[in-house]
Amino acid sequence: MAGEVILEVESLNKAFGGLQATHDVDYEMMTGELSAIIGPNGAGKSTFFNLLTGYHTADSGKIFFKGINITHWPPHKITRLGIARAFQVSNIYPRLTTYENVRQAILAQQKKTINLFTPASRLARRETTELLEITGLSEQSDMVAGNLSQGDKKRLELAIALGSRPELLFLDEPTAGMSGEETHDTMELVKRLNREIGLTILFTEHDMSVVFGYARRLTVLHQGAVIAEGTPEEVRDNEEAQRVYLGEEA
Amino acid sequence: MDTSLLLSQFLSGLSRGMVLFLIASGLSLIFGVMNILNFAHASLWLVGAYFCYSFWVLLQGYGFGMWVSIGLAALTLAAIGWVIEVVLIRRVYDRELPEQLLLTYAMVLIIGDLIKLTWGVEDRIIARPPLVEGPVFFFGIPFDSYFIFVILVGFAVAIGLWWFLQKTKYGHIVRAAVFSREMVSALGIPIPRIYTGVFVLGIFIAGLAGGVQAPVGSITLGMDMAIVVQAFCVVVIGGFGSLLGTLVGSIIVGEIYAFSILFWPQGALVLIFVVTAVVLIIRPWGLFGTPMRA
Amino acid sequence: MKRYWWLGLVFIVALILPFVIGEFWVHVAVEILILGLFAVSFNMIFGYMGQLSFGHAAYYGVGAYATGLLMVKASVPLPICLPASMIAAGICALIFGYFCVRLTGIYFAILTLAFGQLMYYIIFQWYSFTGGDDGLQGIIPPDFLFSATAYYYFTLFVVAAALIVIWYISESPFGYTMRTIRENPDRTRFIGINVKRYMLINFVIAGMFAGLAGGLWGPFNRSIAPDLCNWHQSGTPVFMTVIGGPLGFFGPMVGSVIYTFLMAFVTGFTEYWPLTIGLVIIFVVLFMPGGVLGFFEERVKIIRARALEVGAGESSEKENS
Repeated sequence: MAGEVILEVESLNKAFGGLQATHDVDYEMMTGELSAIIGPNGAGKSTFFNLLTGYHTADSGKIFFKGINITHWPPHKITRLGIARAFQVSNIYPRLTTYENVRQAILAQQKKTINLFTPASRLARRETTELLEITGLSEQSDMVAGNLSQGDKKRLELAIALGSRPELLFLDEPTAGMSGEETHDTMELVKRLNREIGLTILFTEHDMSVVFGYARRLTVLHQGAVIAEGTPEEVRDNEEAQRVYLGEEA
Repeated sequence: MDTSLLLSQFLSGLSRGMVLFLIASGLSLIFGVMNILNFAHASLWLVGAYFCYSFWVLLQGYGFGMWVSIGLAALTLAAIGWVIEVVLIRRVYDRELPEQLLLTYAMVLIIGDLIKLTWGVEDRIIARPPLVEGPVFFFGIPFDSYFIFVILVGFAVAIGLWWFLQKTKYGHIVRAAVFSREMVSALGIPIPRIYTGVFVLGIFIAGLAGGVQAPVGSITLGMDMAIVVQAFCVVVIGGFGSLLGTLVGSIIVGEIYAFSILFWPQGALVLIFVVTAVVLIIRPWGLFGTPMRA
Repeated sequence: MKRYWWLGLVFIVALILPFVIGEFWVHVAVEILILGLFAVSFNMIFGYMGQLSFGHAAYYGVGAYATGLLMVKASVPLPICLPASMIAAGICALIFGYFCVRLTGIYFAILTLAFGQLMYYIIFQWYSFTGGDDGLQGIIPPDFLFSATAYYYFTLFVVAAALIVIWYISESPFGYTMRTIRENPDRTRFIGINVKRYMLINFVIAGMFAGLAGGLWGPFNRSIAPDLCNWHQSGTPVFMTVIGGPLGFFGPMVGSVIYTFLMAFVTGFTEYWPLTIGLVIIFVVLFMPGGVLGFFEERVKIIRARALEVGAGESSEKENS
């Protein structure tokens, strides 16, 4: 299973007005990877995710997922093919309950959303409960999602993404706004998902201890371009990466 | 087809378009700045027409009566606009779109009945002064001389508004408010005051339009109903918040109306809505608008 | 379903109503039911999908004309006309909706309004087919539905059946998908849902039920006119929904009861009904933003919260994400 190319990006470009947000990016991921993209604010990490998931369309370049060219596909088709994402600012359904939030993602994955006459409450019970348990949201199940704490909202965000049963998961700063303990729990969950069910995961993160603690491969973006790539150790030793990014931290 | 007929049709379309412009420019300005779609705009326009009539009745003995009445109607409406803004509109700045729409829609109903209570149900007609009573002749074709006045007022207001928005300090603030409320309030200018000013200005122009409309034909209850939706069409075609767009949109709608009366009388209004729908589908922000704040 | 015992009660009251009230009020009750269905169908777009349609009367009018024309020109029996009304309105909603769902917010409102007016003027001007502004007279229901009471029962059963169907739809995965599109269309795309297509399906279903309501109207009123399509008519379900409360399933129905009852009452002694309802709407918009149902729910919550003495702001805490 591991070792197969799951995602392949060829010289991807995107500009907003005069600003080159993604500049000739080549990128490749193998099945089973747990990798991170890092870079200073405005380096183009979110744009990169947005391009890969169809939120933005690329100006030029190609994106292959499982060998299929998905370059100009709309988000819902990309999701159905097996890519899910969790957003940086939690992107949930604030007036539905936590349970309903997660169930909706599962129903969509099971292609049951077109069902007009079976009460939704009777469907996907087991899957929803399971996923809430996995993400540690069982107690908040009946709470209106808008009233959840910041950390729980991020966890719900992750749960919704997992509800799509992706093969490739993008996490945009999965621990932003979380306490130290929550951060640890979340990243352990991410690690477990990767190890146990072989989910391929790509995340961005500001917290360097998280990045170096969990990612097995790092890619450094700067002004939309890839400037360094490799294992955490290699990136740590890379001069250019140090200069543009790590230098600030060190 | 006879070119003279086409010309006279063109001029009548233009004058119709100018009345629409006067209504739609205020509507567009209010929407552009305040993000409030004023359903009651044409109702206030009709109130302007009735006020013009009442002033004219008072001033009937004087030769200048009608002209003064038009101005007085506009001023009266400005005052009414101010009251409406302060009492009602101000309370819904932060509300969601449907509530704002409903509020102004409720005003349509209320104003309609208040007109009925004040002026009754019979049509009102203003006798025009001799200057604009008879037709004028262009290349031998008779043309309603009052329409010339309507067209002139329309262009005068267009130029005046353009000057105000482009050349004055307040105009710059208003234009800035179209793009970003935050920026304007960051400059320390109180947003409510700008909103009130813009609303009063918009209603003033609507009142002027009502005054100008009054002597065109008879003033009838319910005239506002068809006009307000056409004014929406104008704003949509031209683009929200764009003065030039509103002018062009008004002329387009006025001319569509005038020419389809000639070729396909049943289709005049149908055609206006078809054009509006096509513009909305292809360019929701209109011919001259910018796709910001969608 | 235990929570809905009161529905059974309401239905029983509705059944014995004609024995208690006079014929005038039976007429009012029919109107409440028809306009209530119209408003509930509107709320499928407004409350559930989160878009304001200001042209919903187009589908109501098309439904009314479908039944009216079939009955008057082809003597088709009413039970066949009603499904035909739904289909006609559904086709119309499919064509207009295809374009409308590409837009949201104010643009959606205006495009639906423009299409509504388009429909209105087509019916108004197509004299040879629709009778133009003369309308269509002599839409007589079959003998067994001729009396006000009989037509009331017929309407009651049709509307109740329609409401049950809409209720099921609103509780189905599809109904929840509409809620998620209202709450967060972007997120909904990213769980793999084709948002525009779902919006269109919902738009068509809502149009079909508006068409059914319209179909019921003609034989009740014995005649129809193009005004049924006008933007004023489109305003009616908006009022009802806002008065009753858009976030509950029964809000529009409650709104219809209040609106129609008030209208019957007020028009009894003054012609200034628009003024009255205008003031009511302003009052509701300014002081009861959640409608009557929302208002009472808030009260109940506050009373319960006080009774339970819950900790600081647990239930009142509101966060925007």
